[in-house]
Amino acid sequence: MIVLEDVHKVYPNGTQALNGVSLEIPERDFAFLVGPSGAGKTTIIRLINRDETVTTGSVFVEATDVTRLRRRDVPQLRRRVGVIYQDYKLLPSLTVRQNVEFVLKATNEFDHLSDGLVEETLATVGLTRRTNHYPHQLSGGEQQRTAIARALVRRCPILVADEPTGNLDQESGWETIQLLVQLNARGTTVVIATHNRTLVDTMRRRVIEIERGRVVRDEPEGGYYG
Amino acid sequence: MARLHVARYLLGSALTGLWRNRTMTGGAIVTTAIMLITLAGFLAINDTLNQMVTALGRKSNLIAYVRDEARPTQVTAIIDDLRTRPGVGEVQFVSKEDALAIFESRFVDQRDILDVLQSNPLPASVELRLNDPSVVPDLAQELQTMTTVFDDVVVPLDVVEEVIGISNLARVAGSVIIIALTGVTLFVIVNTIRIAVFARRQEIEIMKLVGATDWFVRGPFVAEGAIIGGIGAGIAAIALVVLYAQAAPVVTRIVSFLPVSTDTDFVRNLAVFTLLVGLIVGSLGSYFSVRRYLSV
Ligand SMILES: Nc1ncnc2c1ncn2[C@@H]1O[C@H](COP(=O)(O)OP(=O)(O)OP(=O)(O)O)[C@@H](O)[C@H]1O
Ligand SMILES: [Mg+2]
Repeated sequence: MIVLEDVHKVYPNGTQALNGVSLEIPERDFAFLVGPSGAGKTTIIRLINRDETVTTGSVFVEATDVTRLRRRDVPQLRRRVGVIYQDYKLLPSLTVRQNVEFVLKATNEFDHLSDGLVEETLATVGLTRRTNHYPHQLSGGEQQRTAIARALVRRCPILVADEPTGNLDQESGWETIQLLVQLNARGTTVVIATHNRTLVDTMRRRVIEIERGRVVRDEPEGGYYG
Repeated sequence: MARLHVARYLLGSALTGLWRNRTMTGGAIVTTAIMLITLAGFLAINDTLNQMVTALGRKSNLIAYVRDEARPTQVTAIIDDLRTRPGVGEVQFVSKEDALAIFESRFVDQRDILDVLQSNPLPASVELRLNDPSVVPDLAQELQTMTTVFDDVVVPLDVVEEVIGISNLARVAGSVIIIALTGVTLFVIVNTIRIAVFARRQEIEIMKLVGATDWFVRGPFVAEGAIIGGIGAGIAAIALVVLYAQAAPVVTRIVSFLPVSTDTDFVRNLAVFTLLVGLIVGSLGSYFSVRRYLSV
């Protein structure tokens, strides 16, 4: 469950990114976050992961009041929210496999390094034949799938994907979404920020449209345009 | 099992980081070693001077010559009182006869000089052996005021005071230099770790975003600092043991009165102390630099 209540966000340089956003995404929901570039989608995702803090308003994730989280409790929140970033954030000096392993090490899950989880995850995103490649040796789509694998391997109850199909052709994009749908079917709450009109229109799932820092539309089974 | 994984991860990341940044690492290690060798050197000198003061004090006598007309009971009372004083070791009364006997034994050839004298010209004396040379000046002055009992008070003051002076000076100079060197070492370690942090800023960002705890992010850097401090200290400790083994016998031979510590316990303690200081300075330095530059 993710709840935003009248959230305003002004970045330190004065940019007003969010202007009173309220929304509620229940557990096991599958929601698209759409809207023009600069609308505030990524900002919302950052607030959920406490990567940024609100200027006013409140953010709840599960039972946690994110805006009042003590510094030492932030890791607990972040371990429950997996984020696939728009810019991937892969480590250039690590191979695909090492990038995936890295996040397991970072969260002290060393046991999962050797129980087949990594291989399984890489197979899920179709990267079995690219495990020893470095990011610069991969196509854009493969990099994106590495980023997805890195989020999947953490098995978080909430998964937020920022433009996960941006670099993929129609078919790979479709496969990625199917993957997220399957995860959702098994209980993961999924939020996808996207510009992919075909995808949203085909899926007919919940659509939250953001424009200039405000929610302008929230439909249970919507298309890209209202 | 989990702990072993964590330890291996910390050490692995630390070593990778140190190697990636090896020029700075080398510089930091050398600086640490120099600081620690200096520190240990001052401690060794200080120890030598302290022992010297003690040794000189043990040897130093304060001799008060007793007037021939002084009353024996009064002299005995003073001797009894002196025995209770702090810092005073032995107190011995040397009678006129004893003095003569000593004189005769020492100057066997000149016995005839005494033969021509009608009476014994040598005064009786009270001889003090002191454990603490710093009480000498006050004590000497006190005895000197007892003009009815004592004729003259002789003090081998100069040497003792000089050694105490040198020893104090060495302590002050040593402290100043050690504080300055520790500052320089901390500065170098902090900067080395800063560079390491900068080189890993992407890793740190991702670690934080996926929910790594602060200490997990900080851990490898603190380990890097501890390794720098540890290796620096190791070099210093080895240099120390080797130098000491070479220098101590030579110094002892040239200035035989210098009580240079030659026992291995002293050198071993010094080496262990050096190692501890290295580890502490290294870990603290990096802890603070990560704290400051990571804001984790
Ligand atoms: N760190 C930042 N500092 C200042 N302004 C920012 C920062 N991040 C985003 N902004 C601004 O906030 C507004 C919303 O940005 P955001 O990244 O949330 O948009 P978005 O909806 O994700 O856009 P896109 O679809 O292009 O990814 C934009 O005007 C952007 O310039
Ligand atoms: Mg965005």
